[in-house]
Amino acid sequence: MKVLVAVKRVVDYNVKVRAKADGSDVDLNNVKMAINPFCEIAVEEAVRLKEAGTATEVIAVSIGDKACQEQIRTALALGADRGIQVETESNVEPLVVAKLLKGVVDKEQPQLVILGKQSIDGDNNQTGQMLGALANMPQGTFASEVVVDGDKLNVTREVDGGLQTVSLNLPAVVTTDLRLNEPRYASLPNIMKAKKKQLDVYSPADLGVEVTSHLTQVSVEPPAERQAGIKVEDVDQLVDKLKNEAKVIS
Amino acid sequence: MIEWTEQQQMIRGMMRDFIEKEIQPHIDDLEYNGMPPYDLMRKMFATFGIDQMATANFDRQIAREEAGDTPDKSNDDKTTEERPLTDAALDAVAMPMLLPMELSRVCPGLVTALGVSVGLTANAIMAKGSLAQKKRFARDLLTFEKVGAWAITEPNSGSDAFGSMKSTARRDGEGGYILNGNKTFITNGPFADTIVFICRLEDPEREQQDWKIVSFILDSGMPGLDQSAPFKKMGIGSSPTGELFLSDVKVGPDRLMGESEDGYGRSGAKSTFSAERSGVAAMALGLVERSLEMSLEYANTRVQFGQPIGNYQLVQLKLAKMEVARLNIENMIFRYIETRARGKDLTLAEASAMKLYSAQAAMEVTSEAVQIFGGAGYMRESRVEQLMRDSKILQIYAGTDEMQVVAMARDLMGRS
Repeated sequence: MKVLVAVKRVVDYNVKVRAKADGSDVDLNNVKMAINPFCEIAVEEAVRLKEAGTATEVIAVSIGDKACQEQIRTALALGADRGIQVETESNVEPLVVAKLLKGVVDKEQPQLVILGKQSIDGDNNQTGQMLGALANMPQGTFASEVVVDGDKLNVTREVDGGLQTVSLNLPAVVTTDLRLNEPRYASLPNIMKAKKKQLDVYSPADLGVEVTSHLTQVSVEPPAERQAGIKVEDVDQLVDKLKNEAKVIS
Repeated sequence: MIEWTEQQQMIRGMMRDFIEKEIQPHIDDLEYNGMPPYDLMRKMFATFGIDQMATANFDRQIAREEAGDTPDKSNDDKTTEERPLTDAALDAVAMPMLLPMELSRVCPGLVTALGVSVGLTANAIMAKGSLAQKKRFARDLLTFEKVGAWAITEPNSGSDAFGSMKSTARRDGEGGYILNGNKTFITNGPFADTIVFICRLEDPEREQQDWKIVSFILDSGMPGLDQSAPFKKMGIGSSPTGELFLSDVKVGPDRLMGESEDGYGRSGAKSTFSAERSGVAAMALGLVERSLEMSLEYANTRVQFGQPIGNYQLVQLKLAKMEVARLNIENMIFRYIETRARGKDLTLAEASAMKLYSAQAAMEVTSEAVQIFGGAGYMRESRVEQLMRDSKILQIYAGTDEMQVVAMARDLMGRS
């Protein structure tokens, strides 16, 4: 079974992001970038499938400018077999990403596509679902467990009420939730091997996809700063403030 | 080489993540509560496959030697023929520096414990031991399954390591030896499984200062060998340091390094010293990078008199000097990496200059980081004070600043 994994280059989750002075975007100057944590979980799941003998090949794909090759190399170091970069500008909206991924799916014909449920920069949570629709594949989103059962895939999903298990016909799309697995650290020998693994670069035209934007980013601003707290003298004052200032009780 | 390659950065990033998640939570236990560092380091070795790589390298070298090749003497040989520069050669030199750099950002003591075991002790055996000794002792040290100590310093011999050395070996008349002496400030001494003990071989025909320098490989628990509890130190609490007491320890000739009384001389020990210097520079770079990052963050967020303290030029001067130090140390390391990758070696003056400058710069930068943090920096919670205390050792071990100056001056003047 061939598995396609999508990885996205995002600001490292440890970094406190700042908006640019003109409010046009997040300031990425001198900011540490990393593989999106949910994508890392997707890579780990694919590699585990391979180690279990279920998957035969794991392909890591990223969409963006040349810098995203760094994240593809990380996926290769974690155990993916080869990489694909679809070269675009760095910021592409979910629908375009889904269309480009559909192009890669058409080319590679994977049995399973694993994506993060969302990226921690845009938090859109759309790409996996859109890809499922475009490629006409069933989808199991927010997966906390993935079990291959013959030509079926049982995906346990984290939904509001608890856990829901769906059975999908392969080929299928899965998006990962936080508790699916705990990604490994790449070992030094695997990092060194990653350098030699194949990495193909395609343009959107190679995949027959036209990149057109439907969304415009109007402005980016930091969240309002929280006011400093105060210490209340007694319970009466607390109740008064909750009633009349915060208006959370009546 | 003017920057770390993408691959080296990836390795640094992975190691940094591991250290933040797996080592940082134990930092107080390691530094102040006597937790031995070895299991954490073994976990790190296993996670990154460092133990497997060490085993593979070891097996390759042993196979070569068994096929009749002489052991790699590149550490001693300064006139090796120049090789064309390749990425693989650069990586081979750079890789071993990444772990010390990353660990030193959080816990330089771990580098000390690790470096003495895997670097000094195992390498001493690999360079000077017999084939049988390498298999018996060095392999488990290189994978860090066993902990090694390299015992040279004595209560009355430090920088003048050989001149004032009192530890002795006496031939027992049956082909073996009887060892006596006290060693102190021995890294890993309290927990070492394998100890390289350096001493003088008694010779009734000569004065004691002319007795030959030899060394022996000892196991923990041998009758007559005592290992003290760890000392309390100013810094690097995560690196256990102790004393060794030997009274009439009987050993066979199989424990004499190289299995020959000529197998290990001053030059052997000296080449080990020179190998340490690049490691100290790597540690200094980690300390300086981390101090600068924390200082920048603090200068941007700490507000006094209505504005971030980074707006004040006295603070800016400190930050600028830190950046100068960071660039200088990094450039020296790049120079070292590229020189070694070409098959050449730094001169003794260059290697000593790198060690001297890096150690002093680390001390100055970490001290200024505490100053930028002010009262908060004096508190353990800030972590910068630990980096400052830890930095001091870089000016003392692996040859004090003063000895580096002497080595440089002598080398430059053409005296040995």
